[in-house]
Amino acid sequence: MAEAIAHHRELMAERDAHAEHAHIEHDTNTGISNTKLAMWLFLGSECLLFGGLITTYLLYKNPLEGPTPEEIFDIPFTSTSSFVLLMSSLTMVLAVSAIERGDHHRLRVWLTATALLGGTFIAGQVYEFTVFYNEGLGFTTSRFSSAFYTLTGFHGVHVTVGIIMLVSLILLSLRGHLPEHRSETVEIVGLYWHFVDVVWILIFAVVYLIP
Amino acid sequence: MTTVTPEPTDQPIPTQVLDGAVEAYPRDRLYVMTAVFLAVVTVVEIATYVWPDLPVWSWGGDTNAGIITVLLLLMAVKFFTVAYIFMHLRFDKPLLSRVFYMGLVLAVGVYLMVLFAFRLFWEGGHESGPQGVPFPSAGPQGPPAG
Repeated sequence: MAEAIAHHRELMAERDAHAEHAHIEHDTNTGISNTKLAMWLFLGSECLLFGGLITTYLLYKNPLEGPTPEEIFDIPFTSTSSFVLLMSSLTMVLAVSAIERGDHHRLRVWLTATALLGGTFIAGQVYEFTVFYNEGLGFTTSRFSSAFYTLTGFHGVHVTVGIIMLVSLILLSLRGHLPEHRSETVEIVGLYWHFVDVVWILIFAVVYLIP
Repeated sequence: MTTVTPEPTDQPIPTQVLDGAVEAYPRDRLYVMTAVFLAVVTVVEIATYVWPDLPVWSWGGDTNAGIITVLLLLMAVKFFTVAYIFMHLRFDKPLLSRVFYMGLVLAVGVYLMVLFAFRLFWEGGHESGPQGVPFPSAGPQGPPAG
Protein backbone atom coordinates (compact mmCIF):
# COMPACT_ATOMS: atom_id res chain seq x y z
CA MET A 1 0.00 0.00 0.00
CA ALA A 2 2.90 2.34 0.72
CA GLU A 3 3.98 1.85 -2.89
CA ALA A 4 0.52 2.84 -4.08
CA ILE A 5 0.64 6.04 -2.05
CA ALA A 6 4.13 6.83 -3.32
CA HIS A 7 2.95 6.21 -6.88
CA HIS A 8 -0.01 8.51 -6.30
CA ARG A 9 2.29 11.25 -5.00
CA GLU A 10 4.55 10.89 -8.03
CA LEU A 11 1.58 11.25 -10.36
CA MET A 12 0.39 14.38 -8.57
CA ALA A 13 3.87 15.88 -8.65
CA GLU A 14 4.17 15.08 -12.35
CA ARG A 15 0.83 16.70 -13.08
CA ASP A 16 1.75 19.86 -11.24
CA ALA A 17 5.06 19.97 -13.08
CA HIS A 18 3.04 20.05 -16.32
CA ALA A 19 0.17 22.09 -14.94
CA GLU A 20 -0.19 24.22 -18.06
CA HIS A 21 -1.10 21.16 -20.11
CA ALA A 22 -2.43 18.86 -17.43
CA HIS A 23 -5.64 17.05 -18.24
CA ILE A 24 -7.01 13.57 -18.11
CA GLU A 25 -6.88 11.77 -21.45
CA HIS A 26 -10.04 9.89 -22.39
CA ASP A 27 -10.68 7.39 -25.12
CA THR A 28 -12.79 9.77 -27.19
CA ASN A 29 -12.19 11.70 -30.41
CA THR A 30 -11.52 14.88 -28.45
CA GLY A 31 -9.57 13.28 -25.60
CA ILE A 32 -12.10 14.84 -23.23
CA SER A 33 -14.74 12.82 -21.44
CA ASN A 34 -18.18 13.14 -23.01
CA THR A 35 -19.70 14.10 -19.65
CA LYS A 36 -17.32 16.99 -19.16
CA LEU A 37 -17.76 18.21 -22.73
CA ALA A 38 -21.53 18.00 -22.30
CA MET A 39 -21.33 20.08 -19.12
CA TRP A 40 -19.30 22.78 -20.88
CA LEU A 41 -21.78 22.82 -23.79
CA PHE A 42 -24.58 23.13 -21.25
CA LEU A 43 -22.80 26.03 -19.55
CA GLY A 44 -22.30 27.69 -22.95
CA SER A 45 -26.05 27.45 -23.53
CA GLU A 46 -26.70 28.79 -20.03
CA CYS A 47 -24.81 31.94 -21.06
CA LEU A 48 -27.61 32.53 -23.56
CA LEU A 49 -30.31 31.93 -20.95
CA PHE A 50 -28.88 34.34 -18.40
CA GLY A 51 -27.87 36.77 -21.16
CA GLY A 52 -31.55 36.98 -22.13
CA LEU A 53 -32.66 37.51 -18.55
CA ILE A 54 -30.02 40.19 -17.86
CA THR A 55 -30.90 41.97 -21.13
CA THR A 56 -34.59 41.94 -20.21
CA TYR A 57 -33.73 43.40 -16.81
CA LEU A 58 -31.65 46.17 -18.41
CA LEU A 59 -34.55 47.07 -20.70
CA TYR A 60 -37.08 47.17 -17.87
CA LYS A 61 -34.97 48.40 -14.94
CA ASN A 62 -36.69 51.78 -14.77
CA PRO A 63 -40.12 51.04 -13.29
CA LEU A 64 -43.12 53.02 -14.49
CA GLU A 65 -44.77 52.45 -11.11
CA GLY A 66 -43.87 51.03 -7.68
CA PRO A 67 -40.53 51.23 -5.82
CA THR A 68 -37.34 51.94 -7.77
CA PRO A 69 -34.15 49.87 -7.45
CA GLU A 70 -32.40 52.73 -5.62
CA GLU A 71 -35.18 52.88 -3.04
CA ILE A 72 -35.32 49.18 -2.32
CA PHE A 73 -31.87 47.59 -2.73
CA ASP A 74 -29.82 46.95 0.42
CA ILE A 75 -26.31 46.99 -1.06
CA PRO A 76 -24.38 46.12 2.16
CA PHE A 77 -26.56 43.05 2.68
CA THR A 78 -26.27 41.90 -0.95
CA SER A 79 -22.51 42.53 -0.85
CA THR A 80 -22.23 40.13 2.07
CA SER A 81 -24.26 37.52 0.19
CA SER A 82 -22.03 37.98 -2.85
CA PHE A 83 -18.93 37.50 -0.74
CA VAL A 84 -20.39 34.29 0.74
CA LEU A 85 -21.07 32.88 -2.75
CA LEU A 86 -17.60 33.93 -3.93
CA MET A 87 -15.96 32.07 -1.06
CA SER A 88 -18.06 28.99 -1.81
CA SER A 89 -16.19 28.80 -5.12
CA LEU A 90 -12.95 28.51 -3.17
CA THR A 91 -14.27 25.70 -0.97
CA MET A 92 -15.60 23.94 -4.09
CA VAL A 93 -12.28 24.03 -5.89
CA LEU A 94 -10.55 22.81 -2.70
CA ALA A 95 -13.00 19.87 -2.67
CA VAL A 96 -12.00 18.98 -6.24
CA SER A 97 -8.36 19.29 -5.23
CA ALA A 98 -8.93 17.04 -2.20
CA ILE A 99 -10.46 14.17 -4.14
CA GLU A 100 -7.77 14.41 -6.82
CA ARG A 101 -5.20 13.59 -4.17
CA GLY A 102 -7.43 10.97 -2.54
CA ASP A 103 -8.15 12.92 0.64
CA HIS A 104 -11.76 11.90 1.20
CA HIS A 105 -12.07 13.43 4.63
CA ARG A 106 -11.22 16.89 3.33
CA LEU A 107 -13.38 16.30 0.28
CA ARG A 108 -16.40 15.93 2.55
CA VAL A 109 -15.37 18.89 4.71
CA TRP A 110 -15.06 21.21 1.69
CA LEU A 111 -18.23 19.91 0.02
CA THR A 112 -20.15 20.48 3.26
CA ALA A 113 -18.69 23.98 3.57
CA THR A 114 -19.69 24.75 -0.02
CA ALA A 115 -23.25 23.50 0.54
CA LEU A 116 -23.54 25.54 3.76
CA LEU A 117 -22.26 28.69 2.07
CA GLY A 118 -24.71 28.11 -0.79
CA GLY A 119 -27.49 27.59 1.73
CA THR A 120 -26.54 30.85 3.44
CA PHE A 121 -26.73 32.65 0.11
CA ILE A 122 -30.20 31.20 -0.60
CA ALA A 123 -31.39 32.11 2.91
CA GLY A 124 -30.20 35.66 2.25
CA GLN A 125 -32.07 35.75 -1.03
CA VAL A 126 -35.29 34.51 0.59
CA TYR A 127 -34.90 37.19 3.28
CA GLU A 128 -34.26 39.85 0.64
CA PHE A 129 -37.33 38.82 -1.39
CA THR A 130 -39.47 38.86 1.77
CA VAL A 131 -38.31 42.36 2.69
CA PHE A 132 -38.93 43.61 -0.87
CA TYR A 133 -42.41 42.08 -0.92
CA ASN A 134 -43.28 43.69 2.43
CA GLU A 135 -42.11 47.03 1.04
CA GLY A 136 -44.57 46.72 -1.83
CA LEU A 137 -42.49 45.10 -4.57
CA GLY A 138 -44.51 42.11 -5.75
CA PHE A 139 -43.78 40.07 -8.86
CA THR A 140 -46.38 41.96 -10.92
CA THR A 141 -45.92 45.39 -9.32
CA SER A 142 -43.92 46.78 -12.24
CA ARG A 143 -41.89 45.72 -15.24
CA PHE A 144 -38.78 46.20 -13.08
CA SER A 145 -40.05 43.87 -10.35
CA SER A 146 -41.00 41.14 -12.85
CA ALA A 147 -37.61 41.31 -14.56
CA PHE A 148 -35.74 41.46 -11.23
CA TYR A 149 -37.53 38.52 -9.59
CA THR A 150 -37.27 36.42 -12.75
CA LEU A 151 -33.53 37.00 -13.11
CA THR A 152 -32.52 36.58 -9.47
CA GLY A 153 -35.10 33.82 -8.95
CA PHE A 154 -33.70 31.79 -11.85
CA HIS A 155 -30.24 32.20 -10.35
CA GLY A 156 -31.53 31.12 -6.93
CA VAL A 157 -33.02 27.98 -8.47
CA HIS A 158 -29.65 27.21 -10.05
CA VAL A 159 -27.92 27.60 -6.67
CA THR A 160 -30.52 25.32 -5.06
CA VAL A 161 -29.95 22.64 -7.72
CA GLY A 162 -26.21 23.00 -7.05
CA ILE A 163 -26.74 22.45 -3.31
CA ILE A 164 -28.75 19.28 -4.06
CA MET A 165 -25.86 18.02 -6.23
CA LEU A 166 -23.35 18.82 -3.45
CA VAL A 167 -25.38 16.96 -0.83
CA SER A 168 -25.63 14.00 -3.23
CA LEU A 169 -21.84 13.99 -3.57
CA ILE A 170 -21.40 14.06 0.21
CA LEU A 171 -23.76 11.09 0.59
CA LEU A 172 -21.98 9.19 -2.20
CA SER A 173 -18.65 9.85 -0.53
CA LEU A 174 -19.91 8.72 2.88
CA ARG A 175 -21.10 5.45 1.35
CA GLY A 176 -17.74 4.95 -0.35
CA HIS A 177 -19.10 5.34 -3.88
CA LEU A 178 -16.83 8.24 -4.77
CA PRO A 179 -13.27 6.92 -5.13
CA GLU A 180 -10.58 9.27 -6.41
CA HIS A 181 -10.63 7.83 -9.92
CA ARG A 182 -14.11 9.28 -10.17
CA SER A 183 -12.86 12.74 -9.25
CA GLU A 184 -14.28 14.02 -12.52
CA THR A 185 -17.78 13.71 -11.05
CA VAL A 186 -16.83 16.24 -8.38
CA GLU A 187 -15.09 18.40 -10.98
CA ILE A 188 -18.22 18.51 -13.16
CA VAL A 189 -20.43 19.53 -10.23
CA GLY A 190 -17.72 22.09 -9.45
CA LEU A 191 -17.96 23.50 -12.99
CA TYR A 192 -21.69 24.01 -12.50
CA TRP A 193 -21.13 25.64 -9.11
CA HIS A 194 -18.47 28.01 -10.43
CA PHE A 195 -20.73 28.96 -13.31
CA VAL A 196 -23.47 29.86 -10.83
CA ASP A 197 -20.89 32.04 -9.05
CA VAL A 198 -19.81 33.63 -12.33
CA VAL A 199 -23.41 34.49 -13.19
CA TRP A 200 -23.83 36.14 -9.78
CA ILE A 201 -20.69 38.20 -10.44
CA LEU A 202 -22.51 39.61 -13.49
CA ILE A 203 -25.84 40.07 -11.67
CA PHE A 204 -24.24 41.76 -8.67
CA ALA A 205 -22.48 44.33 -10.85
CA VAL A 206 -25.19 44.91 -13.46
CA VAL A 207 -28.29 44.76 -11.26
CA TYR A 208 -27.12 46.04 -7.88
CA LEU A 209 -24.05 48.22 -8.33
CA ILE A 210 -24.24 49.97 -11.72
CA PRO A 211 -26.22 53.18 -11.15
CA MET B 1 -0.14 10.84 -24.62
CA THR B 2 0.79 11.00 -20.98
CA THR B 3 -1.72 9.86 -18.42
CA VAL B 4 -1.11 12.04 -15.41
CA THR B 5 -3.71 10.76 -12.98
CA PRO B 6 -3.97 7.33 -11.41
CA GLU B 7 -5.16 4.66 -13.80
CA PRO B 8 -8.81 3.84 -13.13
CA THR B 9 -9.17 0.41 -11.59
CA ASP B 10 -12.05 -1.51 -10.17
CA GLN B 11 -10.21 -1.68 -6.87
CA PRO B 12 -9.02 1.82 -5.97
CA ILE B 13 -6.71 2.60 -3.11
CA PRO B 14 -8.82 2.29 0.08
CA THR B 15 -10.06 5.61 1.34
CA GLN B 16 -8.87 5.13 4.89
CA VAL B 17 -5.32 4.58 3.66
CA LEU B 18 -5.15 7.63 1.42
CA ASP B 19 -7.05 10.01 3.71
CA GLY B 20 -4.65 12.81 4.48
CA ALA B 21 -1.74 10.91 2.93
CA VAL B 22 -0.78 13.87 0.78
CA GLU B 23 -0.81 16.86 3.08
CA ALA B 24 0.18 19.64 0.73
CA TYR B 25 -1.02 20.22 -2.80
CA PRO B 26 0.72 23.06 -4.67
CA ARG B 27 -2.31 24.14 -6.62
CA ASP B 28 -4.30 24.79 -3.40
CA ARG B 29 -2.11 27.79 -2.75
CA LEU B 30 -2.99 29.19 -6.17
CA TYR B 31 -6.69 28.73 -5.39
CA VAL B 32 -6.45 30.52 -2.05
CA MET B 33 -4.48 33.41 -3.59
CA THR B 34 -7.07 33.64 -6.37
CA ALA B 35 -9.88 33.83 -3.80
CA VAL B 36 -8.05 36.61 -1.95
CA PHE B 37 -7.64 38.49 -5.23
CA LEU B 38 -11.36 38.07 -6.01
CA ALA B 39 -12.28 39.31 -2.52
CA VAL B 40 -10.11 42.42 -3.01
CA VAL B 41 -11.73 43.14 -6.39
CA THR B 42 -15.18 42.76 -4.78
CA VAL B 43 -14.20 45.25 -2.07
CA VAL B 44 -13.21 47.74 -4.79
CA GLU B 45 -16.57 47.16 -6.50
CA ILE B 46 -18.42 47.90 -3.27
CA ALA B 47 -16.24 50.98 -2.76
CA THR B 48 -17.77 52.48 -5.93
CA TYR B 49 -21.11 52.41 -4.09
CA VAL B 50 -19.81 53.60 -0.72
CA TRP B 51 -17.56 56.37 -2.06
CA PRO B 52 -18.97 57.33 -5.49
CA ASP B 53 -17.11 60.67 -5.44
CA LEU B 54 -13.58 59.24 -5.46
CA PRO B 55 -11.64 60.80 -8.37
CA VAL B 56 -10.73 57.33 -9.69
CA TRP B 57 -14.28 56.73 -10.97
CA SER B 58 -16.15 60.01 -10.57
CA TRP B 59 -14.95 61.44 -13.90
CA GLY B 60 -18.21 60.64 -15.69
CA GLY B 61 -20.19 63.26 -13.79
CA ASP B 62 -23.95 62.78 -13.84
CA THR B 63 -23.72 60.08 -16.52
CA ASN B 64 -21.78 57.85 -14.08
CA ALA B 65 -19.59 56.81 -17.02
CA GLY B 66 -16.57 56.41 -14.75
CA ILE B 67 -18.32 54.15 -12.24
CA ILE B 68 -19.95 52.09 -14.99
CA THR B 69 -16.63 51.63 -16.82
CA VAL B 70 -14.77 50.62 -13.65
CA LEU B 71 -17.53 48.20 -12.60
CA LEU B 72 -17.68 46.56 -16.03
CA LEU B 73 -13.90 46.15 -16.04
CA LEU B 74 -13.82 44.66 -12.53
CA MET B 75 -16.74 42.39 -13.41
CA ALA B 76 -14.86 41.09 -16.46
CA VAL B 77 -11.70 40.55 -14.38
CA LYS B 78 -13.63 38.49 -11.80
CA PHE B 79 -15.51 36.56 -14.48
CA PHE B 80 -12.41 35.47 -16.37
CA THR B 81 -10.41 34.81 -13.20
CA VAL B 82 -13.02 32.33 -11.97
CA ALA B 83 -13.33 30.72 -15.42
CA TYR B 84 -9.57 30.56 -15.94
CA ILE B 85 -8.46 29.30 -12.51
CA PHE B 86 -11.40 27.81 -10.62
CA MET B 87 -13.07 26.28 -13.69
CA HIS B 88 -9.68 24.95 -14.80
CA LEU B 89 -9.75 26.47 -18.30
CA ARG B 90 -6.09 27.27 -17.73
CA PHE B 91 -5.29 23.59 -17.17
CA ASP B 92 -7.76 21.92 -19.54
CA LYS B 93 -7.82 21.37 -23.28
CA PRO B 94 -8.39 24.47 -25.43
CA LEU B 95 -11.52 22.91 -26.92
CA LEU B 96 -13.39 23.47 -23.64
CA SER B 97 -12.44 27.15 -23.66
CA ARG B 98 -13.70 27.44 -27.23
CA VAL B 99 -17.01 25.78 -26.37
CA PHE B 100 -17.60 28.08 -23.41
CA TYR B 101 -16.46 31.30 -25.07
CA MET B 102 -18.50 30.45 -28.15
CA GLY B 103 -21.64 30.54 -26.02
CA LEU B 104 -20.46 33.65 -24.23
CA VAL B 105 -19.57 35.59 -27.40
CA LEU B 106 -22.83 34.53 -29.03
CA ALA B 107 -24.82 35.67 -25.99
CA VAL B 108 -22.99 39.01 -25.67
CA GLY B 109 -23.30 39.68 -29.44
CA VAL B 110 -26.98 38.78 -29.70
CA TYR B 111 -28.04 40.69 -26.61
CA LEU B 112 -25.95 43.76 -27.40
CA MET B 113 -27.81 43.91 -30.71
CA VAL B 114 -31.09 43.59 -28.82
CA LEU B 115 -30.10 46.45 -26.50
CA PHE B 116 -29.10 48.59 -29.49
CA ALA B 117 -32.36 47.71 -31.26
CA PHE B 118 -34.30 48.85 -28.20
CA ARG B 119 -32.15 52.02 -28.05
CA LEU B 120 -31.04 51.37 -24.47
CA PHE B 121 -27.91 53.46 -24.98
CA TRP B 122 -29.81 56.50 -26.25
CA GLU B 123 -30.81 59.23 -23.84
CA GLY B 124 -34.22 58.40 -22.36
CA GLY B 125 -34.16 54.94 -23.87
CA HIS B 126 -35.46 53.42 -20.65
CA GLU B 127 -38.48 55.65 -20.39
CA SER B 128 -39.80 55.84 -23.92
CA GLY B 129 -38.84 52.51 -25.45
CA PRO B 130 -38.00 52.08 -29.13
CA GLN B 131 -39.69 54.30 -31.66
CA GLY B 132 -42.98 52.76 -32.69
CA VAL B 133 -42.47 49.68 -30.53
CA PRO B 134 -44.24 50.09 -27.20
CA PHE B 135 -43.03 48.42 -24.06
CA PRO B 136 -45.64 45.97 -22.75
CA SER B 137 -46.29 48.13 -19.70
CA ALA B 138 -46.74 51.30 -21.74
CA GLY B 139 -50.38 50.46 -22.50
CA PRO B 140 -52.08 49.26 -25.66
CA GLN B 141 -51.27 52.41 -27.66
CA GLY B 142 -47.65 52.74 -26.49
CA PRO B 143 -45.82 56.02 -25.90
CA PRO B 144 -46.28 58.88 -28.38
CA ALA B 145 -43.87 58.67 -31.33
CA GLY B 146 -40.89 61.00 -31.20
